[in-house]
Order: sequence, then structure tokens, then C-alpha cells
Amino acid sequence: MMPRYIKIFLTLILVASLGLASVPGSLQAKAPAGAKATPVIKVTVEDSPEVTRVKISGSSNLVYNLKKSSDWLIVTFRALAGLKLEKSPFTSQVVKSVDLAKSPEAYLLIIKAVSPDFSFSHSIRKSPFELTIDLKLKNRVAAKETKPVETPAKTPPPASGQVNPPPAVNQSVERAGQGLTSSQSEKKAFKTIVIDPGHGGIETGAKGNYGTLEKDITLEVAKKLKERIEGDLKYRVVITREADVVVGLERRAAVANNNKADLFISIHANGSKRAKARGSETYFLSLNATDEESRRLAYFENNSGELENRLGEQDFDDLKLILWDMAQSAYLKQSSQLADFVQNQLNQLLNTQNRGIKQAPFKVLTGVACPAILVEIAFITNPEEEKKLQSEEFQTQVAEAIYQGLSQYFQLYEKP
Amino acid sequence: MKNNRNKKKKLRALLILFIVLAIIIMIFLFGSRKEKIRHERGADRTDQVTGKKADLPMKQVTLFFLSDTDGLLHPEEREIPESDLSGEARAVVEELIKGPQTGLMRIIPENTRVRQLFVTADGLAYVDLSRQVTEANFYGSSGEMAVVYSIVDSLAYNFKAIKKVSLLIEGNERETLGGHVDLSNPFQPDYSLIAR
Ligand SMILES: [Zn+2]
Repeated sequence: MMPRYIKIFLTLILVASLGLASVPGSLQAKAPAGAKATPVIKVTVEDSPEVTRVKISGSSNLVYNLKKSSDWLIVTFRALAGLKLEKSPFTSQVVKSVDLAKSPEAYLLIIKAVSPDFSFSHSIRKSPFELTIDLKLKNRVAAKETKPVETPAKTPPPASGQVNPPPAVNQSVERAGQGLTSSQSEKKAFKTIVIDPGHGGIETGAKGNYGTLEKDITLEVAKKLKERIEGDLKYRVVITREADVVVGLERRAAVANNNKADLFISIHANGSKRAKARGSETYFLSLNATDEESRRLAYFENNSGELENRLGEQDFDDLKLILWDMAQSAYLKQSSQLADFVQNQLNQLLNTQNRGIKQAPFKVLTGVACPAILVEIAFITNPEEEKKLQSEEFQTQVAEAIYQGLSQYFQLYEKP
Repeated sequence: MKNNRNKKKKLRALLILFIVLAIIIMIFLFGSRKEKIRHERGADRTDQVTGKKADLPMKQVTLFFLSDTDGLLHPEEREIPESDLSGEARAVVEELIKGPQTGLMRIIPENTRVRQLFVTADGLAYVDLSRQVTEANFYGSSGEMAVVYSIVDSLAYNFKAIKKVSLLIEGNERETLGGHVDLSNPFQPDYSLIAR
């Protein structure tokens, strides 16, 4: 008799502890935020005779979305504060690489196949999260479908696929082009300079004691700089805004990239809580280099040529920005040289205090895929400099200094 | 029959015993887990306390404020109550908001509140500030840099466990404070902005 009771008893205990085993999960959820860990996804890739299986297992349940475009299969994970990728090394006949990229709203796992001719199916299991994707290459029947994808790096993408630039951009392009040559195809023979007047619209930037707004000064100086450059008929100019409107920071970088800019110059007036802060300085990007970013950078470097070829695809508007997220990292050296030339000219022409060239993690510069600087003309929060900034004469001098600086840069570093 | 009833009685008794046991197990699991968390945090804390015993109620920290003289960040010592890592980190940011006691400058806009502060296991501190932190007339590049790095440098300098700092506004990721410094990636400290 007794052994049977013991048996029942033990079974009950076993059931009880199994039931309790699920408790830690909810306890963890209740644990203070300090103990919260970044979700991790583990990715394995395995070929079998029929399909190539990509298994994504998550440390927690994730909201995802799948999208195929050309030879990429993109898994989007939304609403996450962070995400870490752990991948096991693999060799596959179908999958070339697996990488994680970050966009403002989501994390993207980019599965790159050897060819665009693949189909895929997927299945999902939750708690624990496991997304299984099977990729299969289609039989290559028609050889005629294979088109040359390679285009020379400096040739603009075909007009049909080109992302529509803002109207202002178009005008500038044409005007500069007409002054030089009637041939559309020779456009790229001229360097393209993108001028970015800081702030705009409700985003006023810093404010001076006399009520001067940074956004107004930057636009005035940018217009003068545009005129100065165009007057010389040497370069093509694109401006990121021509009026008092809001333009997003990523949009500004995208304008530069979509126009295949050779230089990007962001114009600002500085602000400080210290009323006596004064002087001019020129910035180029600094990186908060983290492991994740270096990985993304490596991805960008390995794929930038290809990215350029894809620029035309409308569909890729979002992804473009994302993968160009850290584009500026590849141009830091040139950017520092450009900063040096421009700062020297500011010192010579402006009679303001020289604050030198500096590095900072400025949002507007991170996505720009060419040498890029941010010029802080003078302090709008310093009453004396605020008055200077308002003066047409001073603004013209600033435009002249920046122009001289960038011309020197082109002469010395960009021989045709 | 009698035997059967007897069996049922015994079963019922066992069931009650089981429920009691289950409760005991649950209390045990829950309790030990809590203790484990407390223990981990305790370890964090003793790590940072240099030359002081963990049971002392106050802890000395170094805060970095902007100097009106040279435009660089300067240190100011301060005592904060001892607590767990996120509690102490929160106190540091709150002291920065209150402003300096010596001749340095208060730069984080008035009425800014720390909504939440937590530190992940791999050393990323999330500092969630109220929207007032974005409301300042002086947010040019220099102004933004001073506010961001007084927070980032103060946290990283005082707490070894904090390697990177991410700033959130009203619980959300935001691009910038006023159009310049990128808030969408975590910051590593930049001690070059501190006076030598
Ligand atoms: Zn600005």
C-alpha cells in the first residue's frame, strides 16, 4: 500500500516542480529593469540536398516581418531597445552572409543569397522563439534573364529607377549643367557639392539674445555659398532646403547620397549656455565605435559597391538609409582634411577666434557617403557674434571662406 | 469498501500536504531568487566603493559640470546615499540636474526629471529623461555636447559597471536634443571634454 502512496506523492511533487519551472520566466519579467538583458538571436545556416535552412532562435518572442528583394531576404524585428546577433560559422551553397543592421525603428537581419533566383518558405514556433526559413534556388531555365548588374561606380543609375530628388535639387542640377555643357551624360564630370543649411521650420536651432534664430542665419549663408560656387561654373550645387521648412536629418544625408555628392557641407551657428563662448570651429564625425557598429561598418565596406548599384530601386528607400547609416565612417580621413582647409580659411577671412577642427557624433553627418563637415560659423548665443552673424557682409565672408576651403581641397585631393 | 474510504481519506490528506509543500517550494524559489538579485547588485556596489565600507550610508561621487571660464567640464565632489547601481546612477544624474555647489555652471535645463534609469547586464545605462531636457535656447553643437557628456562622463567615471550610456526622452529613442548630437547610438565617455 504505502509504496503506491509514495509513488503518487512523488508524481505530484514532480508535477508541482514542473509547474513551478515556468515561474522563473514571469519572475524575470517582474525583476527590476536593471536586470533586463538585451534579446539575443542565434542564427544557424545549414544546407541539405533539398533546401538551405536558416534557423533563428530568440531569447524572447520577437515581432518579425519577412521581405525578399533581389538576392536579399530581410527579416525585420520591431519594437526593440536592442538586439544582439550570435551566428555560428557556416558554409552554404545558397546563403552568402547573414548580418544585422539597425534602422531608427527596427533591427534588420539581412540574409544574402548567392543569387536573386531563390524562393523561400518559413515556419514559426513561439516560447522559445524559433523562426525557420528554408531557401531554395530556382532552376535556372532562361539564361536570357541574367542581366549585367555591374555598372561603373561613377555612372549615375538609369533614370527609370532613380529616386525622385526634391524639386529644388533638380533645378540646381540643371542650372549648373546648362552653364557647362548641353550633354546630360557628362554631368558627372563635375563635382557635386551638397550644401546643408542647418535646422528649419519649427526646428529653429539655437536662439540669440536679440532673437536671431540659427535656422535663418544658416539659410542665408547657404544661399550665398550656393551663389558663390555656381558663379564659378566649376561645380554642381545641391541644397538640402531652400526655404524655412523642416527637413529630417537622415533626409539631408539621403539627398547627398542620392545625388552622388562629392562633398557635403552642413552650415550651423553655434550655441552655448556660456554667453561669452565665441569663435569658429569645423567638425567632422566621431564614432561611438562599438562592436556592433564596427560590424555594420564592415558590412558596409564589403557591400558598398553593390549598394550603389541598387540605389535606383524605389523599394529600397528605407533600407538604403539604414545601410548607409554609418557611411561616413569610410570618409573620416578626407573629412578631416576638408575640415582643416575650411577652418584655415575661416581663420584668415573672418577675424573670429579659432576654435580649431573637432570631432563629434553629429547625426546629420553619419549617413553621408562622401567627405562631410559641419561648420559652426560663430556663436549666436554671444551677443557680439550674434550681431556679426546678422550682417550681410559677414555672411558673404563666411561663404567666401568655405568656398576657398573646399576649392583647395578639390585642387589638392581630387585630381581628375 | 472500508478500505476504499480509508484510501480516499489518505489521498485527501496527501493532497493537502502537497498543496502546503507546493506553497513552501514556491516561497523558497521566489525568496532565493530575490536574494540572488540582491546579492548580484551588492557585488556591483562593493566594486565601486573604493576605500569605503559597503555598510556606510553615503558614497562620494565626482560630477562633471561646465565651467564658464574655459568651456570644459570640471569635477565637483558630492555625497550621495548608497544604493544599488541604478539607484546611485540615478542620484548622480539628479545631482547634475540640481546643479553645482561651487562656481561651475548648471547646464541641464531646469525641471528636467529622471523618469527611469536602468543598467543592462552588459553595462549599457539607459537614462530616460523628461522632455524638458530638450527645451533650451542654447542648443547649438557646443551646448548639446556639454549636456550630453556631463551625463555620460559622470556616469562612466563613477561606475565601472557602466560602459555606455543611452539617452531616452520620455521613454522613447530620439534623434537629437536640438538637431546636432546623435542620440540614437549609445555614448561612450569622452574624457577629452574634461579639463586637465
Ligand atoms: Zn545647429
